[in-house]
Amino acid sequence: MSALLQIEELRVTFNTRHGPVTALDSVSLSVNAGETLGVVGESGCGKSITALSVMGLIPSPPGKIAGGAIRLAGEDLTQASEARMRALRGAEMAMIFQEPMTSLNPVFTVGDQIAEAIMLHQKVSADQAFRDAVALLDRVGIPSPDRRARDYPHQLSGGMRQRVMIAMAVSCRPRVLIADEPTTALDVTVQAQIFDLLNEIQRDFGAAIILITHDMGAISEMADRVAVMYAGRVIEQGRADDVLDLPQHPYTRGLISCIPALGKGEDSLREIPGVVPPLHMLGAGCAFAERCAHRAPRCDSEKPQLQAHGHHPVACHAVAEGRI
Amino acid sequence: MTTLLDVRDLTVQFALPRQGFFGPRPVLEAVRQVSFSLEQGRALGIVGESGSGKTTTAMATIRLVEAAGGKVMFQGEDLLQLDDEAMRKRRRDVQLIFQDPYSSLNPRARVADIVREPMDLMEIGTPDERRARVTELFRLVGLRPDQLNLFPHQFSGGQRQRISIARALTTNPKLLVCDEPVSALDVAIQAQILNLLARLKAELGLSYLFISHDLGVVRHVCDDVAVMYLGKIVEMAPRDALFDAPQHPYTQALLSAAPSLARRKSRGYVRPVKISGDPPSPINPPKGCAFADRCPKAQEVCRKVQPQLEPMGPSRVACHFPG
Amino acid sequence: MTEATTFKAESPAREAWRMFRRNIPAVAGVIMLTAIILATLWGTFFYEGNPFEIVWAPHEPPGATPEFPLGTDYLGRDIFAGLIAGGGPTLAVGAAAAAITMVIGVSLGALAGFYGGWVDNLLMRITEFFQVLPTLLFAMVLVTLFSPTLFTIAMAIGVVSWPQTARLTRAEVMKIKELEYVTAARAIGAKNRRIIWTVILPNAAPPLIVSATLTIGVAILFEAGLSFLGLGDPNTMSWGLMIGSNRAYILDAWWPVTFPGLAIFLTVFSVSLIGDGLNDAFNPKLRER
Repeated sequence: MSALLQIEELRVTFNTRHGPVTALDSVSLSVNAGETLGVVGESGCGKSITALSVMGLIPSPPGKIAGGAIRLAGEDLTQASEARMRALRGAEMAMIFQEPMTSLNPVFTVGDQIAEAIMLHQKVSADQAFRDAVALLDRVGIPSPDRRARDYPHQLSGGMRQRVMIAMAVSCRPRVLIADEPTTALDVTVQAQIFDLLNEIQRDFGAAIILITHDMGAISEMADRVAVMYAGRVIEQGRADDVLDLPQHPYTRGLISCIPALGKGEDSLREIPGVVPPLHMLGAGCAFAERCAHRAPRCDSEKPQLQAHGHHPVACHAVAEGRI
Repeated sequence: MTTLLDVRDLTVQFALPRQGFFGPRPVLEAVRQVSFSLEQGRALGIVGESGSGKTTTAMATIRLVEAAGGKVMFQGEDLLQLDDEAMRKRRRDVQLIFQDPYSSLNPRARVADIVREPMDLMEIGTPDERRARVTELFRLVGLRPDQLNLFPHQFSGGQRQRISIARALTTNPKLLVCDEPVSALDVAIQAQILNLLARLKAELGLSYLFISHDLGVVRHVCDDVAVMYLGKIVEMAPRDALFDAPQHPYTQALLSAAPSLARRKSRGYVRPVKISGDPPSPINPPKGCAFADRCPKAQEVCRKVQPQLEPMGPSRVACHFPG
Repeated sequence: MTEATTFKAESPAREAWRMFRRNIPAVAGVIMLTAIILATLWGTFFYEGNPFEIVWAPHEPPGATPEFPLGTDYLGRDIFAGLIAGGGPTLAVGAAAAAITMVIGVSLGALAGFYGGWVDNLLMRITEFFQVLPTLLFAMVLVTLFSPTLFTIAMAIGVVSWPQTARLTRAEVMKIKELEYVTAARAIGAKNRRIIWTVILPNAAPPLIVSATLTIGVAILFEAGLSFLGLGDPNTMSWGLMIGSNRAYILDAWWPVTFPGLAIFLTVFSVSLIGDGLNDAFNPKLRER
């Protein structure tokens, strides 16, 4: 049985002043209904581009899907017309962004905006849509929803705005929900509430969630499976427990051990030296080689492919050769 | 150990726009009678969410925000009483690292000039000595001397933060205020900067007033931690006491809300302390405990009487029902 | 930490210049303006003829006599000589007026924006007072009160056009003073004057440079307008004066007003092209293109 959403060998290029660069390079991911896939990596690793590709929102030009396929229940979205994508967006798949303030229209009330989203995809009256909007606000935990539905975005706190975004995203019960750093702009106690809410909504609606984040802690609390991305490629993926407890790629190991933990305070954090190389300067070899303690000549000349090793697939020569 | 900094009843108010043409000007109390002290060579973390007043507290301490009342005794001298010129001279001892490495460096100045400027302003050393010092500082924070003549936009976020640290260290300060120094950085880079700050503290005997919303970061860098909520310190304790045995319900909620590798979806974790809602508005703070509306333990007394910081074991807690 | 090695030490100004060079209309503007400036420089320092001298019959059409390629005006004065000799004063008035505008506007705007409070209130009310005055009328009053020399004309134009610059500067300064590098300068003990001059104003420079460039164009038009109304300096040849003195005979002869008009148009046009080019060059959003 194939997964609900399946990304196969996706390749996305961008035209920049440094010439064309490959933002995503043979990225393959999949997510099933009722499952949460965490996509984790540092800024510039391609995790947001992956999300935008699925939604068909890559700015083009300069961006372009140069190869591969994105299959939603078998239908290849890379071949779909713009009209078809518009019909799918919001109805079959929806996205929650990092900054809820800039994703909401400041001149309409939040109730009207949710009702608008409902009427785009369902044949209901305006009154019915507004009542549905109030019910959704109640569902996402906004107190006195009938009053709040008449508020404008600036009258709500950051956490409430993100709840409104979630209400809007789930208004048509999409099968795929993409959350791109949904809590980065929020305080930690509010972040916890949003995570709990997303998990509840998944239990109720059975949606597949793709959670894009830089935070391994969020992955641990939210994800069933996880894909680690670096410089436009997936370098390790597997069940969240496997990847978090038995990370194989040196980068994944570094990411996990450089988090200042709440539990035991060691004297010095393990650090990954250097920075992510800019995409236009990627060579023929492994993009992580420059920062890697297990670098060998082969790492500079040949890109490692994702292949099963131990519990789960990893793209690393050192692991494949048994050097780590 | 000598006390470097002793802050007593620090209060900061911001005037809000008038309501109506002749109406009174409402006042927002961002920091309400905050007291703490910091010893030479130690780091005090101030933790809180946005709007808790943690940054304002730090900024008022070093007079980059005007205080409405209280005392800031720095090496026995009240900074709030100094005249402008005396304060300007005193700034060589109290320096600052910012959150955003992109907006804290003047984009039109070369980085060597940025790092040298404090010495120019304080008239420290000859031009040659200043140049040598800049090179030395570059090495100290892990930058290369051949990068001296570049402009800020040619560096990555982590490198910019190193430049910011070098600038802060130029005048050999005793106190370094770090305002969320790593929250704008990727985790891998975050670790580099935190290790650098830890090394500098040990090597140079610096004291840090360390502002952060990230408890993991604070645990790594700080010796003592103060938790702020709506302009007040609600709990203050040595690091291990605070993390191992938090007393205030808000501290407990913060600890259980912070994402952690120890909690797994696969193991069906349930958050032990759940709180709902957002912090109340600082314009009309509640009469009693500011946390009462969100607190799972709140009783009638909490809404009426404001709890004061009371000693409790190694900690000090402002709660009617701690533990 | 290797990525910085690939960069040259490119300053923000150099980067702007690199962007500017790619803008073809702006470069065309620079070439056009350079040609105009060279011609007027030659006219000011090397041209021997007197543009006020009556040299031929009145209203000789252009091309009729090889000696006077652009013809003569209603008194029989050489129009080519007028263009060449009148360019210098015209450009000088434009540049001086723009300089006066910038000095007044930037100082008051910077003070208002930086100090805020009652300083801001006071300065902005003064600015508004000047802004609501009908500019041309006010300039006419000033020029009439003090005899119409190039200097008083430049002053009058400067005095009526600074409010816009002041508002622009104030807005920029208010935006920049909230940025952390300004707090950083205060934290290392910089005084207010130093913060305004070495930190805030250089960062506010791009829009101000653009505005200064465009002000030159406006000032040249202003001078022409005053001359057209007969309020120019009658003792100094300028393009505006040529148009002003010939305007009564425009139905009899088109050339005495058309050529100086064209000269003004080309100058203002090239200055605007340069201003727009600078605007784009300083705009970081267009950099990556």
